[in-house]
Amino acid sequence: MMTKRILVVDDEPSVTRNLKLNLESGGGYEVLGENHAAETLNAARGFRPDLILLDVMMPGLDGGDVAARLRADPLFRDTPIIFLTALVSNEETEGHEMLRGAETFLAKPVDIGELKKTLENHIRR
Amino acid sequence: MNLPLQIRFPSAAATDNRAWRESRVRGLTRALSSQPLPATAGLLLGLVVAVGWADYMTGFEVSVSLLYLIPIGLGAWVAGRSMGIMVALASAAVWLGADLLAGHAYGHWLMPVWNTLTLAISFLVVAALLGSLREVNEGLERMVARRTKALQAENAQRRQAEEELTQALSEARKAHAELQRTQFQLIEAAKMESVARLASGVAHQVKNPLMTLSLGVDYFLSRKPESRNEAQLAQDMKEAVRRASSVINILLDYSRPRPLQRTSEDIHSVIENSLTLVRHQLNKQQVTVVREFDMTLPSVLLDRTRIEQVLVNLFLNAVQAMAPGGTLTVRTVSSTPLSGDSDGPTGVTVEIDDTGHGIMPENADKLFEPFFTTKPPGQGTGLGLTVARKLMEIHGGSIRLSNRKQGGARATLQFNTQPLAKR
Repeated sequence: MMTKRILVVDDEPSVTRNLKLNLESGGGYEVLGENHAAETLNAARGFRPDLILLDVMMPGLDGGDVAARLRADPLFRDTPIIFLTALVSNEETEGHEMLRGAETFLAKPVDIGELKKTLENHIRR
Repeated sequence: MNLPLQIRFPSAAATDNRAWRESRVRGLTRALSSQPLPATAGLLLGLVVAVGWADYMTGFEVSVSLLYLIPIGLGAWVAGRSMGIMVALASAAVWLGADLLAGHAYGHWLMPVWNTLTLAISFLVVAALLGSLREVNEGLERMVARRTKALQAENAQRRQAEEELTQALSEARKAHAELQRTQFQLIEAAKMESVARLASGVAHQVKNPLMTLSLGVDYFLSRKPESRNEAQLAQDMKEAVRRASSVINILLDYSRPRPLQRTSEDIHSVIENSLTLVRHQLNKQQVTVVREFDMTLPSVLLDRTRIEQVLVNLFLNAVQAMAPGGTLTVRTVSSTPLSGDSDGPTGVTVEIDDTGHGIMPENADKLFEPFFTTKPPGQGTGLGLTVARKLMEIHGGSIRLSNRKQGGARATLQFNTQPLAKR
């Protein structure tokens, strides 16, 4: 099975660190954590992710702005982006797909099983 | 010797007799006074002549001569002092005429003149006195009439003032009640606003640490814990994170409710689905579910997911309030719509009865307050009913909780239905 590269962008280092730990420990994923929204494009260019997990509320640039920058780069025009947000509940994430360039939303705290399923669904497309 | 003071009241019979006499005299005087003046004068002069004739015939008995006072009194009383004086002079003249006709022999020619004069003066005094008395009486009657009229006007004014005061008082009471209601609503709104602000702030601050915890626990669970205790500990931590997250989600949902996605639904189907969602808890507590459905009810325009959330909440509350083996009755009935328009659409009411301990009087006002719960720690967020009420309100419906006479509590949900939605 090919290892999939996931770029996790979140201003909370504990979140990026734990996501990396969880996803990589199960195998099948290589994770790069980025805690500075402004550095996302550079990190993505160097890492070439298959999917980007993007926090919505970050200091300086919000998730929507970062997604717009990524979409503006031909390299990441088709890379799936999944928003992670603290300001919606699970029920609210339904019906908001493709908003501002994101594939879908996931409400924090994310269940790792649910996250893996979502990753599989979107990377397979 | 001291005698006890005795007060005698006239007997009822005496009072009646006097009243009868007074009414007859009043009747006579009224009859005379209603005649034209010349007719009255003629009548009285006829009476004077009759008395003069009787006086002549009886040989001028004093008792008969006194009868002249009747026409004089009547004249003065009925037609006034002038008429009385005229009748008095006529009586003296008639007496003199009768006396001359009788041819009494007097010792001196001045004697009949003197007698006539004294008689005339006596008659005149009586006429003048009665005339004056009549004027005083009339004056008194006028004064009494004036006072009566003034009192009646005052009474009418007082009654009107009383009515206005009563109306003003009733309006003031209504306004006060309205003010209290508005004040309560304002306090509620302010409270809800605070909850909403708090929710948004707390969500971001709490969900990130919760995510770290959740991922950490997930990692430990994936590492296959060495003992059952460790596995249980990790599961407990996972559940704690889930519960904390759930509270935040409810708060978020409450502070920024999604727009309703309404569809026309059979309320019974929504109830059945909600019962299925709590089936596990119902079975665990051996709760008997009784359905009293009116299957002729019209469909209701509602957001199915949100109303199921309300029903699940109420079912769980009922289950937790009952001892094992209780009975949960779900009833649907037709009701008057909330708009109060009797020609408008039919309302649908859902009643959920339990056989639990009912609502404590001291808690009745707090049931819908955020974070108010009577459940043991960890079993309730205190937001279920708050959210349920909000959801019913945004559906244009209402929720009410009360105690049942038979014991236990009743939750009543009322929905408005669409006029064309009849099945």
